[in-house]
Parts: sequence; structure tokens; C-alpha cells
Amino acid sequence: MVILKTEALTKIYGKGPGMVTALENAALSVEQGEFIAIVGTSGSGKSTLLHMLGGLDRPTSGKVFVENKDIFSLKDEALTIFRRRKIGFVFQAFNLIPTLNTYENVVFPIQLDGNSIDEKFVGDVIQSLGLSKLQDRLPNQLSGGQQQRVAIARALASKPAIVLADEPTGNLDSRTSQDVLSLLKVTGQKYGQTIVMITHNEAIAQMADRVIRIEDGHILKGGDVNA
Amino acid sequence: MFSERKILERLDRMLEDGISGTFEESDYDESQLSKLESRWLRYLTSSKLSARRTEEEREKLKELVSDISHQTKTPLANILLYSQLLEERDLDDETRRLVTEIQVQTEKLEFLIKSLVKVSRLETGIIGLSPARGDLGSVITAAAEQALPMAEGKQITIQYSPDMATAVFDSKWTQEALFNIVDNAVKYSPERSVINLSVNEFELFTCVSVADQGKGISEEDLPKIFGRFYRGENAGDQSGVGLGLYLARQIIEGQGGYITVESEPEPGTVFHIYLPK
Repeated sequence: MVILKTEALTKIYGKGPGMVTALENAALSVEQGEFIAIVGTSGSGKSTLLHMLGGLDRPTSGKVFVENKDIFSLKDEALTIFRRRKIGFVFQAFNLIPTLNTYENVVFPIQLDGNSIDEKFVGDVIQSLGLSKLQDRLPNQLSGGQQQRVAIARALASKPAIVLADEPTGNLDSRTSQDVLSLLKVTGQKYGQTIVMITHNEAIAQMADRVIRIEDGHILKGGDVNA
Repeated sequence: MFSERKILERLDRMLEDGISGTFEESDYDESQLSKLESRWLRYLTSSKLSARRTEEEREKLKELVSDISHQTKTPLANILLYSQLLEERDLDDETRRLVTEIQVQTEKLEFLIKSLVKVSRLETGIIGLSPARGDLGSVITAAAEQALPMAEGKQITIQYSPDMATAVFDSKWTQEALFNIVDNAVKYSPERSVINLSVNEFELFTCVSVADQGKGISEEDLPKIFGRFYRGENAGDQSGVGLGLYLARQIIEGQGGYITVESEPEPGTVFHIYLPK
């Protein structure tokens, strides 16, 4: 089942002589449960692509479908709610709320949505990510790797359609990176979670089921499931 | 009349109870809500029913697998036995060649059935993996020693150091997975090359790497090597049925780990097996 698809996705910044085409005619599709890596050098357009996949930024032209829904047909407010329910984000800078402890950070998006918390599932996610003993800690009492594990737990806890990870290990040393990525991979496997991760690191990309290469705003390779 | 809020609360509770499997119809009247409850219950019952059917089919599959594995054992053993008896007779060269071929193929069939039964048992969860904290060093040593006879035939050196490294794994099945990967490396390595087994410990995972000096796996082949019955272009006349890596991946993922592979024609191929600590 295709869970994420783009059609001729194009993003142009600026106008006239200062115009920059960050992404041009990008087409890709992702199957439910796949772990995808988008690889490209900085400035290749991979962040632009990810931001549009997650509905954080609107394209100049083209479409993004999440679970067959054209997300940019939604108004801003509806798009925000859609994003909260369907997309889990993991950022390079963790983005945890400093005044909330581990558990509170993990369940925060669920509470925002006014939903009751599936304690069993959340407990399982917390345990899978090795956070059981760190539940009462505040973010500043956690190491970088631990903070990123909390961010992954937060992304998974609301059972989103897709988890989007933007250089999830960009702020971590290589040993910690390996652990965090391993957990991302293994928990994705365990919960059948679709994950799209951007990275500039080839070795990291090797962990994915499929690698999508992007260069100068064009998808060079791997855009299609059977390509 | 219910207020909208009350109705939504009631619907929310119906869903919650449905998810937790405790839903019961409250009262029977002519209201829309009561009709909805009836239909909700019907939906829940039918999805429960289909879940049970799937379970029953799984049971049948288990029986079939165990029947196949049991019932083919004796005839296969007999074919081998008779061909060995035949071999002891006074035979001309041509007949002897044919007898040997029968034996080779029978052994291959036996191996294939064994592998398929293992795969099927793992997939249907008949054999549970029972991971426990243990020393990976002994598993590495055992897998390397198991691959040694074949490696010696090609004068391949298998390097490993029995370092202590802990992880949570099922030792019997992990040894099988690791052996499959080492065995694969031996098959595709040139004579007089070196295969290196190493361990790297991270905070939450332990990684066992198997590096060979073979000609590498082409980029097109890389995503396919873990598929069932997949054999690479340059598999050539190597013995095997194409289930080794598939089985290895099933075993490792079944224990909450994963396998990655890096391949270049120059240094060769490296398999990394990550196991939780």
C-alpha cells in the first residue's frame, strides 16, 4: 500500500534574478512500513523535500499525498491538525520541551489532540527505546542520544502514518548515532512504522530499505518503489 | 434528547470499549444511537471472527509444515541409503557417476526441505526465539569453527578473537544466522583470502561484523540479497538454495536486531549484525 506519494513537486524561492529552484518535478512514492533514506549534499533540496512531505512548507506547484489525501488542498488550520495526527517528526535539534519530563514530552502531542493515551503502547515504546528508567528526567538531565531517543518515542507514540526524520543524528557523536539509528530502525520494524529520513551520510543511508538520491533539486534515483 | 456533547462522549466510549474489547450494548430502543450500537457490535464481532479464522489457518499451516518435515524424512533417508548400497556394487564408471549425482541431489533436497521448514517455523512463530543475555564470543567462535572445513578447502583464513561482548540473543539461532553469513562469505571469497569477524559494542546495541575480500555485491543486487531464493549473478556453480541470508535476517529481526551490508569490489563485502544489549 502506498502511504506517501508526490507528483511533480516543485519549490521555487524568490523571484527574478534571485530566483532559486530548490526542487523541481520531484516524484516519489513510499510503501507502508518502508524505511527510506533521502541522501544528498547540503543544498541539494533534501530538506525542502522533507518539509513539504510533512506539510511544513507549501510547494510552488505539485502535490503531496499522505494516505491518498492531497495535503495541500487543506487550509492552514486543517493542515496543522493533519500534521499533528499523521506525521511524527524527529529533528536534528531534538526540540523537546525543556519544562516537561521524558514521559510528558512523549505524550504531549497526544494530549494536544485531546486523545486518551494508549498507556500500554506508550509504555512499550518507552521500553523499546530504553527510556524506562529516564521517565522522570527533564531534557537537560539527559545526554544528546537520550534526548533524541525521547524525540523518537514522541514521534512514534501517536501512531502516525509517517515518521519524518531530518538528520536525526546530526548533533550526535558517531557511536551514539549508531545506537539512535539502530533504535529507529528496530522500532520501525517492530511497529511497521513508515520512516523517511534525510541524511548526507552514505553509511547511515545503508541502513534503509531504499535510498532516494537527490542532487540540485532533482531526484536522481530510487524515487519509485520498484525502481 | 441528548445534547451533541453527550452523544459524542457516548460514541467516544463506544470506540474506547471496542478497542479494549469490552463493548456491550447498553439498552435496546428505537433511537439512532441504539441502532448504531447494534451495528458497531456486529462489526466488532465480524472482525473478531476474521481474526479467529486467520488464527485457525495459521494452525493448519503449522500442521502442514510439521507433516512435510516428518513425512519426507524417512523416504529421503531411504533414497540416500539405497544409493549408498548401490554404490558398493561393482559399477561401471558411467553408472557410478549417475549414482553420485543421485546422492548429491538427494542431499540438496534434504537441505532445502530443512531450510524451508526452518523458515516456515520462524515465520509462523512455531519456534519462538528465546533471547537471553549472554556472551557473543562463544557464538562467534562456534560459527567460525562450523565454517572452517569449507574455508580450509579454499585455503581461506577466518580471523576472529574470542573477545567478551554481551548482547541479548538466542544463542542457537544466532549461531545459525552468523554461520549462514560466514558460510556465504566463504562461498563468494577467492582462494587464500581472509574473512574477518569483529565485534563492536555500542551503548544499546552490539554489532558483529563479517568482512570478506570477495568481489563484492553489485548495487542492483544489494537490496535483493535478503530475498527468498535469491542468488546473485555471480553465484555461478556455488552450492546453496538461496535461503541462508533470508533465514539470517528472519532470525536477527526476530530478536529485535537488524542486519546491514556494505559492499565495494575492492575491500569486499561487510555484513553488520546488530543485536540489542
